[in-house]
Amino acid sequence: MRDVRLTHDVGLKALTWLHAHRDGFRLEPAAEAGGSFLERFKPVGELALICKVLFREGVAGSRQAELARQLLDHAWREVLDGGRALVVGQRREPLSPVPFETYVPFRELGYGEPELERAIRINHRLGSWAALEVSPVRRLGVCTFERRYGMTPSTPLPEAAARTWLARTPEPWTVEGHIGYDITHTVFHLTDWGESPRGLPDEVADYLALWLPVWLDDWTDLRRWDLLGELLVVDACLPYPSLDEAAWTALAGAQSPDGSMPVSGADGEAAGGSDGGNEAFDLLYHPTLVAAFASALATSRAMSGLAPERA
Amino acid sequence: MEQPSASTRLAGAVRDLASEVVSALRGGDHPGVVCAPAGIVEDDKLGIAAVRVLGADVLLPSIMSRRRPEGLDVRILRQALTAFPPGADASRATAWSHWAMARSLRALDPPVPHPADDEPDASWLDTAPWQALTHQVSLLAALAVPGGDCGVLRALTRRPHDVARGFVRAVRRRDWLQAAGAGRWLAVLDDVPPSLGLDTGLEFIQHMDGADPRVALHVSAAQLLRAGDPR
Repeated sequence: MRDVRLTHDVGLKALTWLHAHRDGFRLEPAAEAGGSFLERFKPVGELALICKVLFREGVAGSRQAELARQLLDHAWREVLDGGRALVVGQRREPLSPVPFETYVPFRELGYGEPELERAIRINHRLGSWAALEVSPVRRLGVCTFERRYGMTPSTPLPEAAARTWLARTPEPWTVEGHIGYDITHTVFHLTDWGESPRGLPDEVADYLALWLPVWLDDWTDLRRWDLLGELLVVDACLPYPSLDEAAWTALAGAQSPDGSMPVSGADGEAAGGSDGGNEAFDLLYHPTLVAAFASALATSRAMSGLAPERA
Repeated sequence: MEQPSASTRLAGAVRDLASEVVSALRGGDHPGVVCAPAGIVEDDKLGIAAVRVLGADVLLPSIMSRRRPEGLDVRILRQALTAFPPGADASRATAWSHWAMARSLRALDPPVPHPADDEPDASWLDTAPWQALTHQVSLLAALAVPGGDCGVLRALTRRPHDVARGFVRAVRRRDWLQAAGAGRWLAVLDDVPPSLGLDTGLEFIQHMDGADPRVALHVSAAQLLRAGDPR
């Protein structure tokens, strides 16, 4: 990647759109238990994780840092009601890991909700919490969040990691969309969302260095911007990232002038336009967040001279 | 009823011929005999054109089994070699496949004399992006034979990971013929990444599109090369 401005500008535009459309991060208090109330936490948690990356990487510039801080404050105070919404969610579905997963990045950024923390501690002692039947990559995510929180992971991390698809380094030609997301999220968890590239075992890093170029090439041609963005995050987590020029150029080209990123296809208009209310927001927020995430990591790696290890 | 077009008839003849090669490779009813069971006789224009398309692979069953090929197969391959010389503007793939046919005749014991052309240029394979590299060399998979040293093989020996990436790309994109050709090259290369899963990949390709005899030909060749390791 010759042009660091390209990766940087994708992130700035994406964050600007997310800030302008921050009302799209919303809960649905009337939803029944098991319905969409807890599901609406997911975008908020992802927003916090990625804003944390922006602060950490320190390449965002003052404008992006200000937008990110305002977004976080909005998410905590307005959307999560200062954390009370997470408590309500936990009471509706006491065994769900979702309120905990949403809370971790906020807590790391200095926000707090004592009642939720009590529930988290109680949950962590339950045999049922550790026994919850979730996919291996989800289990790995819960366990890494437990470690980040300061608790003993309910499954030892090496064991949780070994159960994932990626850890087995299977035939790379079998990868399709769902497996692609399992791969990207396994990398996110193993590296603490890009913070610790050394969290990738050598065998996994070698496997990804070998086959990621094929997947980047494929999902660029498929114009699947959401997964491509996540794969570019994976690239930036490798010891020697490629910062694939073709993929980045295509991603930047797909970004709408207003900064939103379509899931797939030509542009944001395909999703009904980025001013199309909540429905459009729900389609656009994730690829747009991912674009901001990939931008922060790739820009940081490019500016650090592609050093294999970060200080 | 409409007559099939020339290209349709040629494609059909190539399929029939490839089917016979596959059958012979698998030790069928006519081991080492290809043209006759495919209904091709000397001076048969359509048949000779089909032999030109399949190229050196017409003699593959005898090469793999180390048997003297049948005389008719050799004569028709020679006719095809003479009838379709590469023009001045021939593609790299055409020049190389023509060279491969001449090489296979010269390699016979006793050799069938044919003017020894210089090897076509292969330097472009050192700089081609891995996607284009794999696409091009899959067209030249007939060069991937036991002991088949040539410029293409030497170039690929320097880039096994890139051919492996191209194999993954072709399988992902359901381009079975390209995948089979790339797989055949990988069967003669060292340093193929174990995580590729070449053997299961070949089985997968055979399962998905083995009904295409051109695909089955490359898969069978690759599997024989892997099993016998006759490099």
